[in-house]
Amino acid sequence: MLLNYLKIAWKVLLRRKFFTFISLFGISFTLMILLVVYALFDHTVGAHTPEKRIDRLLFITHLELWSDHSQSNSTVGYAFLNRYLHVLRTPEKVSIASSGGSAVAYVNNQKLKLDTKATDGEFWQVLDFDFIAGRPYTVREVREAAHVAVINETTARRYFGTTQGVIGRTVEADQERFRVVGIVRDVPAARFYTSADMWKPITVSSINLQDPNYLGPCIAILLAPTAAAVPTVQQEFQQVIDRVPVPSPKDYTEVRVYAESMFANMVRVYFGESGPDNGLGRFVRLLLGLGLLFMLLPALNLINLNASRILERSSEIGVRKAFGATGNVLVGQFLVENIFLTLLGGVLGLALAAGALAALNASALIPYAHFGLNGRVFGVALLIILFFGALSGVYPAYRMSKLHAVQALKGGTK
Amino acid sequence: MLRHLVKLMWNRRQANGLLITEIFFAFIVLFIVGSALIYNQQNYRTLLGFDYEQVWQVDLDAGNDQRSDRELEATQRQIVQRLQTLPGVRAVARTSSNTPFSGNTNRSDLKRTKGSGGAYTNGNFYYMEDAMQPVLHLHITQGRWFDKRDDGAARLPVVITRETQEELFPGQSPLGQVLYSGDLETQVVGVAESYRASGDLSDPRAAVFLRVSPQDTTFAHLEKLLVRVQPDAGAELEKQMSTEIMRIGRGWGSNIGPLSEYRVSQLKLVLTPLIALIIVSLFLIINVALGLFGVLWLNISRRRGEIGVRRAMGATAGNISWQVLGEILVLTTFGLLLGLLVAAQFPLLGVLGVQTGVYLTAMLLAAGLLYLLATVCALYPSRLAAGIQPAVALREE
Repeated sequence: MLLNYLKIAWKVLLRRKFFTFISLFGISFTLMILLVVYALFDHTVGAHTPEKRIDRLLFITHLELWSDHSQSNSTVGYAFLNRYLHVLRTPEKVSIASSGGSAVAYVNNQKLKLDTKATDGEFWQVLDFDFIAGRPYTVREVREAAHVAVINETTARRYFGTTQGVIGRTVEADQERFRVVGIVRDVPAARFYTSADMWKPITVSSINLQDPNYLGPCIAILLAPTAAAVPTVQQEFQQVIDRVPVPSPKDYTEVRVYAESMFANMVRVYFGESGPDNGLGRFVRLLLGLGLLFMLLPALNLINLNASRILERSSEIGVRKAFGATGNVLVGQFLVENIFLTLLGGVLGLALAAGALAALNASALIPYAHFGLNGRVFGVALLIILFFGALSGVYPAYRMSKLHAVQALKGGTK
Repeated sequence: MLRHLVKLMWNRRQANGLLITEIFFAFIVLFIVGSALIYNQQNYRTLLGFDYEQVWQVDLDAGNDQRSDRELEATQRQIVQRLQTLPGVRAVARTSSNTPFSGNTNRSDLKRTKGSGGAYTNGNFYYMEDAMQPVLHLHITQGRWFDKRDDGAARLPVVITRETQEELFPGQSPLGQVLYSGDLETQVVGVAESYRASGDLSDPRAAVFLRVSPQDTTFAHLEKLLVRVQPDAGAELEKQMSTEIMRIGRGWGSNIGPLSEYRVSQLKLVLTPLIALIIVSLFLIINVALGLFGVLWLNISRRRGEIGVRRAMGATAGNISWQVLGEILVLTTFGLLLGLLVAAQFPLLGVLGVQTGVYLTAMLLAAGLLYLLATVCALYPSRLAAGIQPAVALREE
């Protein structure tokens, strides 16, 4: 039965190639744009190096001292994180790092600006970097304030001209000398909690580790033992935070700091939310709304075209109806046809999306970006295709099924 | 003829409902995208209000330095004095962190009277030293820039920009007038052109320059330097500067970059979403055009009988093609009217704070584009319709 429907659909497609082209153009470009957007999204918050275990990671990036009339919001102080995170029992590992930093190195009188990150030793255990050569620096090296560093591939190329035999050589940045112990593959700049050109022990950075101020230059990453344990970790963290004394109670009444997934965290920062509601629900609704709105015009176009083409099929519909096919059967058939057409367009759309992403990579608009299609993107593509197919097929199918057999056989539409 | 067409289309409004909806949405999309583009283009053509070429920004980072603000400032002063003596440096001035193209802003209310009530505006506050004029080449239109005469002034001397003048002193001279911001009392010594430090596409908004006197010994809010350099200055000078900063500051870090570079990266940041918007809407428009074309073509083949009768009754080929064209233009008008109803809400409600002129231009542009689109799409189908032979068409019935 299904096979017959598909055969008919194929024949219909071949009958008037110009209209097939219009339909496919609309479908494939719509899907391409949606896929590119999703790929960008996946690239930013999906499970990629170094956050491969993203479903187990929790990020603490901002702290707000809050009261009705006065708020102060910033990244977090090292001493605060160090004191309150290491009492937690539920996380498997805790890492504290600087939120960012920069240093300048000179190669043959040419300036080389490096994004740096000062981290503890656990940083390398919580995250999974791809090491091309060497190793991460250890917890012990951090404790002993060793001048060691991990650099990324591009920095190795720019500074030493090669990635071979760089281990053990020295990088001079901001007139301090660091021994290179490891080289990692470039981390896209969109991963701004972990991306850098050079990582160095937090003990040799300019960060004041004793500063009791709650606000400071640091962020923390927690690794939960399993994805299911994430809420437990969040709960325990919130319990600890609830007991934290509020500094200068004259000005502030609350310390607001949350451990959240990377996506939730970014949405919170983007919306400037500091309260218990991180704005994730609102953001997702907004995205879905915009996506739907964007699909509306191509879908309307397709509906229009399909509804106008009912005439072509009137004799076929008349015969089917005369032989006892019900309206529902016909609706089913036309829906299947439309979804088949959308699938074809989807395959084209995927190819176009792959091309667009490759062009984006080549343009180097975002440093170290490497967009690509993966399983998740394919899955989402399939969902979008089915949705789009149904959206654009239901109304014309309904119109077709409503044709009266006698008039349809005579070749009319009313 | 026109009334007849409108009546014809109005009676078939249900059958053409989908087409009208599509034109309606296409108009909304064109209107929104058009507004965004016109708005940005208008801003782009406005003067920035300063020269960014050959100006470098130097961020000073005291890092772990635990000394008092006063001592930090003394070190900073030494650094400034040393930088001024370097060959290749023309002028150096300290400023707050909201430097051009940095994306940092510092806004406050500015009032004509101390208490509540009276004219007020929310403007950008820029703290600047006397030496900033030779660095940024600000355009002073009335009064003067800060200088030694302002030392010991009872109220903090300020220079306001054109927008601030227009909002607070419409039709009067602001020179010598007093402005309040919280507890701060200031006195206007000059008026400058619009100053758009937020970048090429930002809208010109009220701004005020506040004088940092040589006696000001705070470091905390003035840790950036702007430096005007000779046109031939390069990496050599930059290295020299950062070495000097590190030597005098003993462990201070610095980040030096030309403003022109910050401008390019800032421009990239704001242009990328605009370009994405253009690509997406272009695709939507092509899509609509193809769809319109297809539907019109199909309609012609469905109406062969009707057209055959008209031809047999003496209508010329020209009449027929005008009818087809006229019908689609009337349909487009229906869609447009619906769209205009929605679009008119934007300037009426003033939702986004954009001038009405921008919206009106966008409406005109969107309407014109849609009419053009409809005409182009109808050309081929109308010729097809005109070519129908009455004898052939009528025999088919």
